[in-house]
Amino acid sequence: MVDRVTVTLTLNGERRRFEVPPGRRLLDLLRDDAGLTGTKEGCGAGECGACTVLLDGVPVTSCLVLAASADGREVVTVEGLGSGALHPFQEALVARGGVQCGFCTPGVAVTGAAALARGVTGAERTRLLAGNLCRCTGYAKILAALDDAAEAVDAPA
Amino acid sequence: MDVAIQEVVRPASIAEALATLARADARPIAGGTDLMVQLRDGRRHAACLVDLGRLGLDGVRRDGDAVEIGAATTMDAIAGDAAVRDWFPALASAAGQVGGWPIQCRATLGGNLANGSPAADTAGPLLIAGAGVIVVAAGGRRRVPIAEFFLGPGRTALRQGELIAAVRLPLAETAAGRRVVERFVKVGPRREQVISVASLAGRAVVGRDGALEQVRIALGSVAPTPVRATAAERALSGRRPDAVARRDAARAVQGDIAPIDDVRAPARYRRIVVAVLLDRFLREVERG
Repeated sequence: MVDRVTVTLTLNGERRRFEVPPGRRLLDLLRDDAGLTGTKEGCGAGECGACTVLLDGVPVTSCLVLAASADGREVVTVEGLGSGALHPFQEALVARGGVQCGFCTPGVAVTGAAALARGVTGAERTRLLAGNLCRCTGYAKILAALDDAAEAVDAPA
Repeated sequence: MDVAIQEVVRPASIAEALATLARADARPIAGGTDLMVQLRDGRRHAACLVDLGRLGLDGVRRDGDAVEIGAATTMDAIAGDAAVRDWFPALASAAGQVGGWPIQCRATLGGNLANGSPAADTAGPLLIAGAGVIVVAAGGRRRVPIAEFFLGPGRTALRQGELIAAVRLPLAETAAGRRVVERFVKVGPRREQVISVASLAGRAVVGRDGALEQVRIALGSVAPTPVRATAAERALSGRRPDAVARRDAARAVQGDIAPIDDVRAPARYRRIVVAVLLDRFLREVERG
């Protein structure tokens, strides 16, 4: 039995403390220790983007982040993306039909929200989403939802 | 699933990190985007991981006649940095093509080099920049020219107990009337999230008469390490990159590379791709 390490996170706005094995991945801490199963494991090798979460405001594949490395940092998962309600990009994904099987959706939602926060447009916005694979939608509806959300963010009703 | 390690150390200073890294069973971890996969697959092993996230090794700064990039600077930060984009556009471009964005937000320059892959996308741009790798150890620091850093697939000049602190890129002033063309291109099945089948980093300084005053070419994924294409460079030296010069260079470059067949592509395809990438770069240089 190896010693456990303490990992303290600001997780979806709340200060949380975990005692985990040293080799725990952030993905497993989120799903198994914090019970936040919105974040999905796809490939486990950083190639599909399904496990994307925000670490200090930028998207990372949580399957490749050692939980201990995230100690003291801020993590936002799909559960905490909108504050109390859905994030505008999540709303747009629903309205546009940008969700089919839904497995990639948490990662897509997180990366898309981060892309909107960066304020980029056009091809650069598409480039930022290219690390999140979707086998259902063909991406057109996801990107259309991102455009809608960008308008909603720029010009709140 | 947890990766198979016994211990993780999170030092607050470089001295503390180096003290732990002196242990034979310890290995540094920064972004972890390569190492976590390798630990999972059993391709690399470590009992103890030393987390480099709290050492202040990130950031880009101008230092005299050079730009120094901290080893823990992420690909995303490098791709977006104004000084890197101005002075070393091939490096900025390469950093923006490593994995996808969530990888770029985590992967570091030091990690891309320490991993020792022949396909490391930042290596070519650093080779054409004549960069130096600043390596620290308990006994002091040394500077390893990037051309001497890669020793073979997965092998580098780093010794046990050493750490990459930064990469130093000398600034080259361009004389009046000269034109500089610098590019990085990689080839793979899609644009993002691929390990390069072949990559080319090129830098050309063109004089008023259209002749190449300087040309530097580096290639990835076509030899046991990232390589400078010195034979191609010699074939082009002082010439205009016209059709004849381009043909000579395409022949010469075949002597610079030693590609293999692997899961990503056959060697023969890599030889053709390198010739095409070089030709396209030189056409762009000629067009201006």
